[in-house]
Amino acid sequence: MKRVMLLVLVFVVASAMVFAGGGKETGPEPKTIRIAEQVPGLITPGVWDGQAFSMNSSIYEYLVEINTETGAIDPVLATSWSTDDGSVWTFNLRKEVKFHDGTAFDAEDVKYTIERTQDPAIGHLKKQDFEVVSSIETPDPHTVVIRLHESRPTFIYQLTDYNMPMLSSSYDYAKLGESKPMGTGPFVMQQLIPKESAALVRNTAYWATDLPKVDRLSIYFVADIDASISMLESDRVDVVPFVTPVIKNRLDSVDGISVISPYQEQRFISMAVDQKPFDDNRVRLALKYAMDPQVIARSVAQMDLNDGIYYNETPIMNMLAEYKDLPLRGRDIEKSKQLLAEAGYPHGVSVELYYASDHPFGKELSQTIQELAAPAGFDIELKGFTRDIYLSQYWLNVPFSITGWGGRIDPSMLLALAFKTGGSWNESHLSDSRVDALIDKISAEVDVEKRTGYYHELQQLFFEEGSLINVQVPYLVAINDRVIGYRQPLTMIPQYKYMDIR
Amino acid sequence: MKYLLYQLKKHPLAIAGIAVMLVWLFLAFFGPNLVPFTHTQMDSDHQMVAPGVNGHLLGTDSLGRDILARVVYGSRSILTVALMTSLFSTVIGVIIGFSAGYFGGKADTAFLRAMDILMAIPPLVLSMVILGILGDSNIGSLTIIVSIAFVPATARVARGVLLTEKSQEYVSAARIRGESHLYIMFVEILPNTTGPIIVEATARFAYSIMMVASLGFLGVGMQPPTPDWGMMVIENKPIISNAPWAVLFPALAIASLVIAISIFSDFVSKVLIHER
Amino acid sequence: MNRITRLVLQRLGSLLATLVIMSFIIFMLVEIMPGDVAQMILGQSATEEAVAALREARGLNDPVLQRYVRWVGALATGDLGESIYMQGVAINSILWRRVGHSLVLALAAFILFVPLSIFLGVLAGVKEKKPTDSVISFFGLATMALPEFVSGVILITVFAVTLDWFPIVSVIPIGETLFGNLDILVLPALSITFVMFGYVSRMQRSSMISVMNSDYVRAAILKGMPRRYVIFRHALKNALLPTITIIGMNMGWLFGGLVVVETLFGFPGMGSLLMTAIKTRDVPLIEACVLLITVIYSLSTMVTDIMYSYLNPRIRYQGGQR
Repeated sequence: MKRVMLLVLVFVVASAMVFAGGGKETGPEPKTIRIAEQVPGLITPGVWDGQAFSMNSSIYEYLVEINTETGAIDPVLATSWSTDDGSVWTFNLRKEVKFHDGTAFDAEDVKYTIERTQDPAIGHLKKQDFEVVSSIETPDPHTVVIRLHESRPTFIYQLTDYNMPMLSSSYDYAKLGESKPMGTGPFVMQQLIPKESAALVRNTAYWATDLPKVDRLSIYFVADIDASISMLESDRVDVVPFVTPVIKNRLDSVDGISVISPYQEQRFISMAVDQKPFDDNRVRLALKYAMDPQVIARSVAQMDLNDGIYYNETPIMNMLAEYKDLPLRGRDIEKSKQLLAEAGYPHGVSVELYYASDHPFGKELSQTIQELAAPAGFDIELKGFTRDIYLSQYWLNVPFSITGWGGRIDPSMLLALAFKTGGSWNESHLSDSRVDALIDKISAEVDVEKRTGYYHELQQLFFEEGSLINVQVPYLVAINDRVIGYRQPLTMIPQYKYMDIR
Repeated sequence: MKYLLYQLKKHPLAIAGIAVMLVWLFLAFFGPNLVPFTHTQMDSDHQMVAPGVNGHLLGTDSLGRDILARVVYGSRSILTVALMTSLFSTVIGVIIGFSAGYFGGKADTAFLRAMDILMAIPPLVLSMVILGILGDSNIGSLTIIVSIAFVPATARVARGVLLTEKSQEYVSAARIRGESHLYIMFVEILPNTTGPIIVEATARFAYSIMMVASLGFLGVGMQPPTPDWGMMVIENKPIISNAPWAVLFPALAIASLVIAISIFSDFVSKVLIHER
Repeated sequence: MNRITRLVLQRLGSLLATLVIMSFIIFMLVEIMPGDVAQMILGQSATEEAVAALREARGLNDPVLQRYVRWVGALATGDLGESIYMQGVAINSILWRRVGHSLVLALAAFILFVPLSIFLGVLAGVKEKKPTDSVISFFGLATMALPEFVSGVILITVFAVTLDWFPIVSVIPIGETLFGNLDILVLPALSITFVMFGYVSRMQRSSMISVMNSDYVRAAILKGMPRRYVIFRHALKNALLPTITIIGMNMGWLFGGLVVVETLFGFPGMGSLLMTAIKTRDVPLIEACVLLITVIYSLSTMVTDIMYSYLNPRIRYQGGQR
């Protein structure tokens, strides 16, 4: 019996110890912005999967950045640049810039960063885009001349890609990139606990002496968006990116918290043109006639069409200057049925729709399409997989798919990749000489007006016989009103150095 | 039969448990035809509406899908997997456990060591790791993996009951008659051990449901849009403050089914073992 | 004591065998399944050539057996290796902190449910067939039937969303430790307690009933000894034995439950780490997590078994798990 009592006693004492709790220390607080991010996969530039933007974009820096007010290109590590007709690019670099480890930033680092894209052992995500580079010269430590194989008038936009920050040529990113990220950015990594949190402090040696405006960034990696929002509501964090529309509706009534939409993302509903049944344009049209953009907007995002959610049948986002304002088709089930019958499917057609089930809007969009297309005779079987499985095993090989595409500040960055013959991300297997010719003209055309003309021609083509439906969904960020000046352009890179806290 | 009725009268709770189980079985078979909505149908004008609005008896989720239709349809996959799992794990467990116990010696030692190894990992962790690596789960893979995770327990029970029966006279009699081992194990002994084995199988049934629901919650269970109760809970958790019913009803469905089966399993064990 | 030494040695031996076999199976399983870590890293741009180059760079092109042996060799020296997904991140640097958190959570749950369920189980057993018993028994049955994530969601709704007493998510503020933030343990621990409470209290109740009906307890009461004295002095000691077995048998649920609860609350433990490892096909990290869970689980069942024979030297060790 004594033994039993002893055991009980041990439990009681231990429980008292565990639940006694400790008080939190308080002191003069430095200015801190606290952010709840999604849990990042990889964070080394080059293979960075585009999560935890607040962390990487504060540690690393780019040659140029997009001005969120004007949309213009602003200098960052490059102070000025020039080009002939788009085939030779000269960058003048900022002087007196130091990496966090104390080494100076110079032209060699730019050369290293761009050449690194071609290293096969890295698996660099920008490999294809920089294959056009033929040589990089460094006439002096603060000048870089990049020669291209062919003219690319909008090449500079490639340097705003989130995977293209400037890296130090003397730092071992293969070994340290995941555990000790290091760049020239406004904040320095103080402590990184993988998959859990990151503490960043102001870079005291930052080249812009009045930036950053806050002292610290505290970044939590929280898998569950609902949990992140509860942290926001209980004032444990100030910023939560990747908010869903359902949560936005709820937060709209909460005082002191705003949900903003810095830009739109795209969801491409892609039909492979070389496989049954979408090899026949009439089947593609039948699907388009069965869609109801307003229903899609309502059920996917609880929003109204053209008020945060957009719909078209071309690769160009509605908000871009290059967009051609094409009329909506209007839902017409009879026409859709008739087209299917003409194409040889009088009794309807079965097709599998592949998508990433854990990607924002993926599940909602796929199920809405399934429902809308059913009356016309499309028997759609949904094949949802987690994003990693979907991308590695199904995407690019299936007849019908939904894939998330980030916006590009320059749409031509995306055209060659996704719609040109042999493009590495050509998910609809498009191989159309007219499309190829237009894409080439767009990439090489220096005159803006002519270029826009080509864009319009391309969009008309897609409207008539294209292989995709482009649903644009809002990227939403919930922020506490204490945070002043939230900036995040279409490049998806938030600019925390300009943000302040009340 | 009379004895059964007498037992039922003695345990009114068991009647309730059996009734709930029968209701779920009925709903799994005929429910989807009785509900005015299908499990994927989206009522885009009535998203996240409260129970009762526009004929949605249990309300709708964020896509305007009828919760009742999804819960009812979801009973199919979970009941199928749970039934098959308890069946498979019991059958395999009996075969393995009986063979080990019957032949004894090295076979038995090997069996015990093998079971020790399988039992050294929590069943949920084992299933989660394997299903997670396999990816793309369906009813088949779920059933197989969960059955494997349960076999050590069922095999031990089977071995235990066999050992108590093995020394009975009728077994030695059959041996002297020259019956085959298989005949002795499954024709002579098995009928005399149905009690504890059925009890084990019904208990497994309850565990299976919890396990399958938990795997669904962890995202390694059934794939959408097949409604899985566990998945429904996690899927709708983000709207818990807007539409609590979307989380509450699948949770209640899990609870009611497991409670009913637990009560039933208690009752079975009382009838078949303790009060024989 | 010899018996216990033998038990310990036997258990440790089978644990070692388990570790070897399980780790080998996991290695092979990941090997035969499509979608390896190289493809996971390359994602959308995975060309054949790029995958091959990346596999080469990470040493994935060696035969699987060779990689397995290399891994075991390093493990023998206490080196769990590097994450193959997050290159350059030593598993030792991320795992142990998580293990510590999980153990604290398990302990907290243990401290909540063991005394509570024993106390209520005894109460129900002593008051058999009275209203107190019915209430406790039904509550036990109901909580037992709720998987952790269901009771967790209910707890979140009540205590975090509605009452706002506890945080909805178990995040440790940057620069602080778990011990300064024990409030994040409460809801996860309670969710585990719910399930365990049902099993343990029911067991405690029925063993209490059978002990109370046994001849020696009846005799003691008939002799005129105070009822309270008999219950605590004689009955409880014997009635505790089956309960300890049941607690040992349910360790598996407790550890399985940890994974679920950690995922639900975003608790930084090894269960949630295992989930991420599985998603990224990070073999060394999966191995490390599974092996650790196995070791801790086996050791804890061993401890309950030893406690069992310690409290009751008459009963031979037979071992039992659910």
